[in-house]
Amino acid sequence: MATVTVSRLHIASRAAAAILGGYAFTWGAIVFGAALLVAAGMDFHDAEHLASIVGFLIFLTAFLSAFGVRQLQRVWLVLLGGGALMTAAASLLQSQLV
Amino acid sequence: MFQNFRLSMAWLHTWFGLVLGFVLIVVFFFGAMSVFDREIDRWSIPASRFEPQPMPSFDKLLRPIFEDMQPLEPARAAMRDHVNGPLPDKFTVPSSWGAYTTHRDPVLSLFVGYEVPNAKLPETNIFALRTVDPRNGTALPDDRLKVGSGFFYPLHYSLTLEWKNLGYWIVGFAALMMLVGLVTGVVMHRKLFRELFTFRPNKSTQRSMLDMHNLTGVVALPFHFFFAFTGLVIFAGIYFPVAHTQLEPLHEQHEVIDAQKTGLPHDRAGVAAPIASVDAMVAEAQRRWAAKGMAGDVGFLSLVHVGDRNGYVSVYRAGTDRIALTGEGIHFKASTGELLREDPPPTVVGRINEFLTGLHLQHFRHWLLRWLYVLGGLLGCVCIATGFLFFVEKRKRQHAKQHSNGARLVDALAVTTVTGMLIAALGIMIANRLLPDVMPAGWPWRGDMEQYCFWGVWALAMAHAFWRTAPVAEGHLAPAWREQCLAIAVLAVVAPVLNWITTGDHLLRTIGNGYWPVAGIDLFMLTSAGIALLAARKLKQRVAVDAHANVTRAEVNHA
Repeated sequence: MATVTVSRLHIASRAAAAILGGYAFTWGAIVFGAALLVAAGMDFHDAEHLASIVGFLIFLTAFLSAFGVRQLQRVWLVLLGGGALMTAAASLLQSQLV
Repeated sequence: MFQNFRLSMAWLHTWFGLVLGFVLIVVFFFGAMSVFDREIDRWSIPASRFEPQPMPSFDKLLRPIFEDMQPLEPARAAMRDHVNGPLPDKFTVPSSWGAYTTHRDPVLSLFVGYEVPNAKLPETNIFALRTVDPRNGTALPDDRLKVGSGFFYPLHYSLTLEWKNLGYWIVGFAALMMLVGLVTGVVMHRKLFRELFTFRPNKSTQRSMLDMHNLTGVVALPFHFFFAFTGLVIFAGIYFPVAHTQLEPLHEQHEVIDAQKTGLPHDRAGVAAPIASVDAMVAEAQRRWAAKGMAGDVGFLSLVHVGDRNGYVSVYRAGTDRIALTGEGIHFKASTGELLREDPPPTVVGRINEFLTGLHLQHFRHWLLRWLYVLGGLLGCVCIATGFLFFVEKRKRQHAKQHSNGARLVDALAVTTVTGMLIAALGIMIANRLLPDVMPAGWPWRGDMEQYCFWGVWALAMAHAFWRTAPVAEGHLAPAWREQCLAIAVLAVVAPVLNWITTGDHLLRTIGNGYWPVAGIDLFMLTSAGIALLAARKLKQRVAVDAHANVTRAEVNHA
């Protein structure tokens, strides 16, 4: 890595996207996944556990992608946007179930 | 972010691996020690050096102890901010009683949860804890520290930073970075199979460190991945607390349905009721397990809503015969002994979850597997440590030319977290044997003093590491490594000797009696002393080679 030409700001933004964006995306995936599974008739804690187990693998993938994908803006957009969308969808689904 | 995907992954591996590596090596090392936490407890509390015992009679032995237990001053002090007005002198409404043991525990851990009057939040409980000898009910002194299960183990998963669960979050992030490190490491190298058989100890330090890093990473790759991953799964409820935040309504709905379905009352009825013979309920539970062909030792016994008409008794099995963390709980009405519920076989997801958590927490009885866990954990430590050394070796000469202190700083932190950590661990063992039996008035508790010694010794090792890594800034080997190896060699002999002097349990006696919990710890420390001595000798040879090489280099430059 002798030819690192990227700015510190760019690296900080990548890291923030990976950590915070990755967390937001994973949160969305877990709540939406759990709500979907409950809607499909699964026991709440089973749904919560299964969604979390898969969730950590999603976090890992999101984290790696945040550094692997070329356009940083797209990374932020997908992770934060996707996370927000799934989080909202989970609440909507929950309001139908309770 | 760089020219290509592989370079990005390499950057990620180097920098996140370096920074979180200092946390990970602590987690891996104390995780490996926690595999034998109960044995370390025996070493540190000589009064508990006897054979593991089954769950004793509740009616005769445990009940009077539970009734006598009251929260101690540390628990009361922690509760004061959560109550409007003063705390009562004596708590009177017990919400739960519990007794916990494993197949490796001679002593029994008891807890009593009391309802707290005038608490700011509903359902606030204050806990009284006690450890007793199950043969006669004698209490162990409250100020003793179970160095294994009470200190090394929490250090492993929370760094003992309780404030806002900060330690759990740091360890969790480090575990995620372990997964990232494994994936990026595989992406960087690709020649996995070849690396299984590559170790060139006689090449340059840089080369052999990288070989060792790859070898230990690849050999135990499934172990590293599974342990980092299952560790995250165990604390999923902390990292993603969805059931108590966003999905709370769904969770509440489930709780209500669940209470109806299981028939286990969620709240007290407010009507006093006596407690029937719990021993009879335990016998009935064991009969039911036996009917299913399962080993019938009780691992956890609990009473909920004690003394109330809604009170119930839960009897859980110690899962010594399988990996999955099971309980096969059987529940009885406390006032009558009537069977309320037998936990149904777990669902598929439940089974997966129990397997993943059980794989990590190893409640099963299998000594070879236990040692393999220790080996896996120590291989992880070697992998991380050689990663640090490779980082330093690769950069130190260049940094020396640029007058940068980067390599020196990393080397100092590496010394602190590799050899320094071992010195601190030996420090607490030695403090455990040297502190007076009862601390003088006005001093902290003995167990607290032991922990202060641990951190104090570690801070000293760190100071030494920063002082004695100065030559790294000139591109040389740090004397700190060799000096701390020598310190380990001395301390790891002192600890078993002190064990002998203070308790009379020398190796001839413990091995002769086949008392492996203490013999094993002594032997482990003595082996460490031997390895540390060997490492110190090797490092001395390196210094000679290093000096020679520098002289030759200087002569060449002159010519």
